[in-house]
Amino acid sequence: MKMLAYGLVTGFLFGFLLQKGRVLRYDKQLGALRLLDMTIVKFMLSSVMVGMVGVYLLQDLGLATLSIKSTVLGPVIIGALLFGLGWGLLGYCPGTSMGAVGEGRWDALWGILGMIVGAALFAEAFPFLQATIYNWGDLGRITVPQILGVNHWFIIPLFIVGAIFLFRWLEKKGL
Amino acid sequence: MKKNDGGWSPYLAGGLSGLVGVFSVWFAGQFFGASTSFVRTAGMIEQLFGSERVAQMEYFINVVPRIDWQWMFVVGIFLGAMFSALTSGSFKLQAVPDMWAERFGTRSTGKRAVVAFTGGVVAMFGARMADG
Repeated sequence: MKMLAYGLVTGFLFGFLLQKGRVLRYDKQLGALRLLDMTIVKFMLSSVMVGMVGVYLLQDLGLATLSIKSTVLGPVIIGALLFGLGWGLLGYCPGTSMGAVGEGRWDALWGILGMIVGAALFAEAFPFLQATIYNWGDLGRITVPQILGVNHWFIIPLFIVGAIFLFRWLEKKGL
Repeated sequence: MKKNDGGWSPYLAGGLSGLVGVFSVWFAGQFFGASTSFVRTAGMIEQLFGSERVAQMEYFINVVPRIDWQWMFVVGIFLGAMFSALTSGSFKLQAVPDMWAERFGTRSTGKRAVVAFTGGVVAMFGARMADG
């Protein structure tokens, strides 16, 4: 029960910020895919920068454990290509489709219905997929610092500096 | 692009959302995600038609169809976005997005429905495949 309340409050805050950042909109999502408006990229990278510092700090202090998923090349590459195709058609991703309905853009409801159907189809296809593409290129639970054999506090500042250079370039180009 | 429509800087809103994510990991041990909730919803709907079949499906054994933290998180996104939109005057009932209307006209609700639904099916299949 307490977890459900945590979920609702966390989602509320996240939805509020997504709406304030104007990233729920079809025009912003298609704008990013058409390389016309990088608002979404700015929002996501800013979120990732803060998140990576905070979460690794919590881990180092023993207050949290990372939730690392296995990297399996087959399903990740094929799944990402399918996701990109669907995202371009729908113009919302799973989380933002709910927020888009919240701000009145009810065309996202069609997408939500489609995504529930897509999830049901995936559940049907799962046994077949597990016997095939899920065996293609299983690299296990890897992270970038681990592959490079360096401490994560070496990678994190590099990532932040790279993001800041990208932001400066985007602002200069007026994207 | 117009900047002064009452929205916040994406750097500020994005950074704060990262902070919300960190607190979520700290206090609830939960990382942000949304697509698993669509699987749980699909399973809950399918249970209405035949719970025995659902109980035997491998994927629904892994991802049990029930309301959990993430499901409520997704509901919260809807409510938070609605609160923000209504209190800032940016709530707008729209059947087709502006950019879509520029290309296909404002009276293309049917076409938009077909494309958005199809996109949703494909996007969710891909997202689940990549475990995202």
